[in-house]
Amino acid sequence: MGLPGPFPVGRYARKLEEEMRRRARVSLIGEVTGLSRSKAQAYFELRDAEGAVPCAIWLNELEKLELPERGLRDGAEVVIGGGPDYYRGGSQASPSFFFRATHIRLAGEGDLLARLEALRKQLRAEGLFELQKQLARPRLPKTIGVVTAESGAARRDLLAGLQRRGWAGTVVWAFAPVQDRRAAPAIGAAIQELAATPAVEAIVVTRGGGSLADLWAFCDETLCRTVAMLRVPVISAVGHERDSTLIDDVAAVACSTPTHAAEAVVPLDCLAAREALARSAAALRRAGEGAVGTRSRHLVALARGPARALRRERVALNQKTREIRAASERGFAERRAFQRRIALVVLSRAARRAAGVDADGKREALRRAQVAFRAHEPERTLERGYALAEDSGGEPVTSAAAALAAKHVRLRFADGGVGAEIDRDGGEG
Amino acid sequence: MSEAPESYEAAVERLEQIIDRLDSGQAGLRETLELCREGRELVTYCSTELDAVGEGLKELELDDLAAKLEQA
Repeated sequence: MGLPGPFPVGRYARKLEEEMRRRARVSLIGEVTGLSRSKAQAYFELRDAEGAVPCAIWLNELEKLELPERGLRDGAEVVIGGGPDYYRGGSQASPSFFFRATHIRLAGEGDLLARLEALRKQLRAEGLFELQKQLARPRLPKTIGVVTAESGAARRDLLAGLQRRGWAGTVVWAFAPVQDRRAAPAIGAAIQELAATPAVEAIVVTRGGGSLADLWAFCDETLCRTVAMLRVPVISAVGHERDSTLIDDVAAVACSTPTHAAEAVVPLDCLAAREALARSAAALRRAGEGAVGTRSRHLVALARGPARALRRERVALNQKTREIRAASERGFAERRAFQRRIALVVLSRAARRAAGVDADGKREALRRAQVAFRAHEPERTLERGYALAEDSGGEPVTSAAAALAAKHVRLRFADGGVGAEIDRDGGEG
Repeated sequence: MSEAPESYEAAVERLEQIIDRLDSGQAGLRETLELCREGRELVTYCSTELDAVGEGLKELELDDLAAKLEQA
């Protein structure tokens, strides 16, 4: 094989042990899992999302550390100091690798915050904070999923908040532990199951306040990556206003209390929406009725127009007919009078011819004087077809203005008188 | 209904547009009647949606819901 050796394995194992023990001593932070004790040592694994290291501590050293009772337990976040070790085993004993802890302390707020910051930086750099925020959130979901502790104020507060908005749809509860070391995987599983339920339109994750260690499950990297990738919007309401967990960063909306979460998961205030809808319905009714009412009134007015115009025309026509009839009657009378005058002239000429043109000059002169005289008599004028207008006192009416003022006149013709009413329009046409 | 709205919010947005248009007084008779008809449909839709979340809170546990879905 061309490699150095072969060396006896026991000698190699001792070299390995020496190598390991020479490595630098460091401090590590992580969650305690699989804690067990032998007569002399305590064993556990220190774990986070990326990996784990088997650890061991001598019991007498552990006692000297004066940790709080049950301080070292599964799920505890701890900081340990020490270095890698290798037990080379023996002819009967099995070899093993572990991190030899010489110091252990419970992780403080500062340690957790530092770890949280590192995680936050990493997830932000991967763009995982934006994914949920890009999801469309329904304003009026009919079914919402809620992950919370079965007993707790958060559940009650959320329900009260929903009630205040007048929302009474369907709540699907997915109860999960929210504090101990099983919390993060259980919360993650509950969220995923809710998201896989087609009716669920949005998910609320909520619990009351606590120390950062209490809320640590909500900073779990695996849980937060799961939430970030979901296609259903997640609303987080974990802890109080001052608490900021990693799930708040990846969620679609982060709320400070369960009451705020109720407003975020049902953005529509159903009571106000009902009132607004009633107003819209009334506005539509008004617009519809108004448009039809105004136009139908206008139409009715238009429809009445022709009848009115017709009536007006008919009145005018009747008036004209009366006037024409009156005018034509007047015309006949004038023509008859004219024919009589012609006949008279013809007869008198015939008589003159019969009597001879050269008769007595005196009689002829007298006749001419008589004719000239009679020509000036009103009776003669009347005989020619003219009429004399007289008022009720028998005085002549000599102007149109006087006739209008008199209203009633008497018309004297050659053959007698008739009464007449004066018509203002003059009777033309 | 001619076409169901995409969502409650879409319906409300369209309803507001319709009322703005009617309020402007610029719509003719045919458009007004058409808008009123569409508006009434939207009001009915929104009202149905609100009724769906107004008839009493239902609480289910995820396990019950899963069992129900399996039965269905």
